[in-house]
Amino acid sequence: MKTTPEILMVDDNPADIDLTSEVLSQSKKHFHVNAVSDGVEAISFLRRQGKYEAAPRPDLVVLDLNLPHIDGCEVLSNIKSDPALARIPVVIFTTSQADSDISRSYQLGANCYLKKPGNLAEFVAVVQSMAEFWLRFASLPQREKR
Amino acid sequence: MTFCSDPRRSSLVVDSVAETDLESPPASTEQGGDHPKVACKQGPKAGKGFNLKALIVEDEPADVDLTLRALRQGGLDAVWNVCQTAEEFTDLVRKNCYDVILADYKLPGWSGMESVEILRREGLDVPVILVSGALGEQTAVECIKQGAADYVLKDHLARLPESVRRAIRETKLREDHKHSQEELARSNQDLEQFAYVASHDLQEPLRMVATFTQLLAERYRGKLDADADKYIHYAVDGALRMQKLVQDLLAFSRVGKQGEARVSTDCNAALKAGLVNLEAAIHESGAVVEHAQLPVVIADGFQLVQVFQNLIGNAIKFRSSEPPLIRVSAQLQGKEWLFSVADNGIGIAAEQTENVFVIFRRLHTHTEYPGNGIGLSICKKIIEQHGGRIWVESQPGHRSTFQFTLPVKPTAKQ
Repeated sequence: MKTTPEILMVDDNPADIDLTSEVLSQSKKHFHVNAVSDGVEAISFLRRQGKYEAAPRPDLVVLDLNLPHIDGCEVLSNIKSDPALARIPVVIFTTSQADSDISRSYQLGANCYLKKPGNLAEFVAVVQSMAEFWLRFASLPQREKR
Repeated sequence: MTFCSDPRRSSLVVDSVAETDLESPPASTEQGGDHPKVACKQGPKAGKGFNLKALIVEDEPADVDLTLRALRQGGLDAVWNVCQTAEEFTDLVRKNCYDVILADYKLPGWSGMESVEILRREGLDVPVILVSGALGEQTAVECIKQGAADYVLKDHLARLPESVRRAIRETKLREDHKHSQEELARSNQDLEQFAYVASHDLQEPLRMVATFTQLLAERYRGKLDADADKYIHYAVDGALRMQKLVQDLLAFSRVGKQGEARVSTDCNAALKAGLVNLEAAIHESGAVVEHAQLPVVIADGFQLVQVFQNLIGNAIKFRSSEPPLIRVSAQLQGKEWLFSVADNGIGIAAEQTENVFVIFRRLHTHTEYPGNGIGLSICKKIIEQHGGRIWVESQPGHRSTFQFTLPVKPTAKQ
């Protein structure tokens, strides 16, 4: 039985969360977007701690780099060094174009690095193709049974 | 007349004496310590409270006295140290801040000229006046060539005070010049940093404005009234234009910030890379770009591509009714390569030939010719950072020729 893909979006900008959810809600395939606004929350969500006890295991993490408390790179390294989480694809989605951020992200095991485009048409295109690629075309390890 | 009216300098003198007091055992000098000695009581003429701080390199005590007397007679009160060896000399100049060094040309074991060398090595700009019993004219000229400020014969010590005054004046001028150069460099750097931070940090809120006004336009077009559509369009247009400006500003500030290593770069290849980037514009305008054999220069290749691309892009953009014909050439002129990018375009009025290189300066409206007026300012910055110059000559209505130079041997990176 096919289930709805779960996306965890980690971003402290509510506008980007709204816009991304909006774009995904209009695509033909149905996605479920879970959003948290900082790195600590993201880790709790992934480890199903505290109020996230019943959280689904995401099929894709969309991670901003500039986050309060724990930044994106730390969240990324937490995910990739945890055997239970390491196989979840992580897409870095950020405004930073700095070479240092790009190489550090891939070094830490990011699956893809995308820059948030500055205009609507490109933003829509990037979000749609990201979801299509990772959740439709790419073959990923089976989600573990809950 | 006052000397060293610069308060920085006077306070340095005090500081260095204090440091010497605290930190170091007395150096062995003839006078048994490295505290400068006060040469004379404050005479009525020394009312400004300034004491000349001199280091006398001399092995003959009688000559030290003569030197001091000459200074005093010329109205210069001095605090002084005496030293005889290069080691003592080095030690003293490190610990104290002297206004002048009075060095005997001939000393047992070393020469007064070595003190010039030591000062240079220590990075100190203190004038050295050679005081000597006999110094041939040729030797004297040679010494000055090597960096001595002046020479005074022991028979003519009456000349000494004026020589000291002039040496100090010149050093102060040099220092002031260096100081203002440093200030300028610092303020340029600050400005660049500001441009970088501003443009970088502006991008994020601007992205919000652009994206969401576009979303409004898309979702509510035709659902409000005609005015609303128009206003939203203005907002979207403004945000997108500002985004482009901010990106350009960032690109401009990056020319100074980063820059690849300067390596041997084939200008023919750089030009070709620029032309590839302009392929669409060349094709659409029917432009013909001819080029002679171009040299290999030491440069940041990526930046050189930018220069060719911007210049040729402009030649295409500002074309006349004729299809653009662009000629790129280079010739050796002395120690520089002179590059030339000549076109048959609309040209530039004589009074605008300097303005075109100013950032965000545009000579036409957006509807006539799109663009932000960043391209040539980037070219200018790149060329100047490579130690070259750029300018334009033009016959309005007929042609423009942009010329720039690049040194054959690269200068130090600024």
